Amino acid sequence: MKKHNDWRFLIPGMIVVAVVTQVPFILTLVYSTLRWNLARPDLPVKFYGFKNYWYFLRIQDWPEIPEFYSIVWQTVLITICALALCTIVGFLLALLLDNVIPGVNVARTLILGPFFVMSTASGVIWKTTILNTTFGWYGTIAKYLGFTPVDLISYHPIAVIVLLFSWRWMPFFVLMMLAGLQSIPDEIIDSTKVDGVNWWQSTFLVKLPMIRKHISVAMMLGLIFLVKEFGLILVTTAGGPGTSSYTLPYAVYMQVFNASNVGRAAALAVITVALTLVGINILYRSIEKRSAIYD
Amino acid sequence: MSGTRTTQEIQRTILLKKVFKKTVLTIIIFTVAIIYFSPVLYMHLSAFKTEYDAVSPSLFFSPTLETFQKVLGDENMYGYLKNSLFQVCAGTIICLLLGIPAAFALAFGKFKSQGTNKKVYLWFLTTILLPPVAVIIPLYTWFQTFNLIDKPLGLLIIYVGFHVPIVVWMLHSFFSDVPVEILEAAEIDGCTRFQQLMLVALPLVRTGIIAAGLLVAVFIWNEFFLAFNLTGNEAATLPVYMARFREQQGMFVAQLSAASTVVILPAVIFGWFSQKSLVKGLTAGGVKG
Repeated sequence: MKKHNDWRFLIPGMIVVAVVTQVPFILTLVYSTLRWNLARPDLPVKFYGFKNYWYFLRIQDWPEIPEFYSIVWQTVLITICALALCTIVGFLLALLLDNVIPGVNVARTLILGPFFVMSTASGVIWKTTILNTTFGWYGTIAKYLGFTPVDLISYHPIAVIVLLFSWRWMPFFVLMMLAGLQSIPDEIIDSTKVDGVNWWQSTFLVKLPMIRKHISVAMMLGLIFLVKEFGLILVTTAGGPGTSSYTLPYAVYMQVFNASNVGRAAALAVITVALTLVGINILYRSIEKRSAIYD
Repeated sequence: MSGTRTTQEIQRTILLKKVFKKTVLTIIIFTVAIIYFSPVLYMHLSAFKTEYDAVSPSLFFSPTLETFQKVLGDENMYGYLKNSLFQVCAGTIICLLLGIPAAFALAFGKFKSQGTNKKVYLWFLTTILLPPVAVIIPLYTWFQTFNLIDKPLGLLIIYVGFHVPIVVWMLHSFFSDVPVEILEAAEIDGCTRFQQLMLVALPLVRTGIIAAGLLVAVFIWNEFFLAFNLTGNEAATLPVYMARFREQQGMFVAQLSAASTVVILPAVIFGWFSQKSLVKGLTAGGVKG
């Protein structure tokens, strides 16, 4: 057979991807060890060791916990809650949509919708037409029922963000799990019926283990989507009140574009990536462990 | 009583039960689906209200196109719309031009060491996992040095880099479904590698390419973080427009709804079209790979 040079098909794509994603990431690692403040050109850029990390990680006067830890905690809390909600409710929705009824494709299309709506638009819609205490549905219904609506966005910012994150990303989970449910061969479902298996058993002991691969892919990609999400926070709570709904990506943004501190922002970004990797790893391992039981 | 029932009657009750169950299920499913989508539906409705009608929530009103005219007549929006269209069209095309050959080479290419295909494929996958915050700082400083801040070209390069891996990932499974024998036959007939891709493999993975293209188009259309941080007034795209809407225009629910409708609709329609192939691309790429 003739020798081919197949690299020429790969190289252009690889170069662009490397220049845009890999090289900047390595630079981020480098920047995180520098003292570099864009707002202070009088201070020379110099090597700073781990002082940028130390700035966030140190606990100066115990038992007062610095802001950084509460931001990490909020990020973890929001991500875990949204991920759990998306997976559990998403599975139930997928089960519903797996039924054969007239017009089921219309229903599927409706549930899939929010996945394609841009995050800033969905944030703005929820904020003005639903959650607003005077002009939104929430306020109107509350008044109709006779209680004074609390401003959810300022009193329960985390809950609002979890709700919006879940609403926007759940369709993706439903899509993946529905595909899984539909890939289960009909014979298996038929034979469970013949064996007199009830709904509960057939759902959780037959279907759920059979689509665990789909669930794991949905959860891992979903985790990435959720960690990336930025627009929803910016347009709804803007991290507030105070810093009570900051997440790590939002904190990075504030460090670069409001505090202009490149070094510290880079350190925060590296911490974000590290935590994401830890999260994916834990998820992957727990799924692997479970699948070992069924294999 | 039951003793006197004929088989026909029993069959009929079973059928009735089935029909009843199906009706209830249909009602439940549609209620859930409509409630889930209601924020978007209600926004589409409000777009046809006058500003006066939209102040308090209501479902019944006399529809008007007045607000749409106002929003579409706003010249401010055209700049954003133009930028978004440019990013989506140019970005998607370049992503496909770079991604298709790469996915093809990963599926069929022969390299010196055996594991290269798998390794490079996994490398592409890991870049999908990288959150944009991890790269935004160097990109920002580069953009400042090369004077690319607020230039459509700058954002385009970044979008291409971020979305080529998605094309590769989605197309990999489609290319893997193409039997190698077809390509070998084409090679014996004298096709070069490039001709094998263009004339043999491409027509076979057409649906995959359309799906990948639509998905990338939707992602670029909706991308906010990079657009928000790397552009100012000149090169900003529609998601940035939506985020700025309230600050600039104040609290006008009807206008807001009309603007969101215009902004959302293309992506939602595109997305729905790609739905089927999307499922195939995402699940096959992720579940098998």
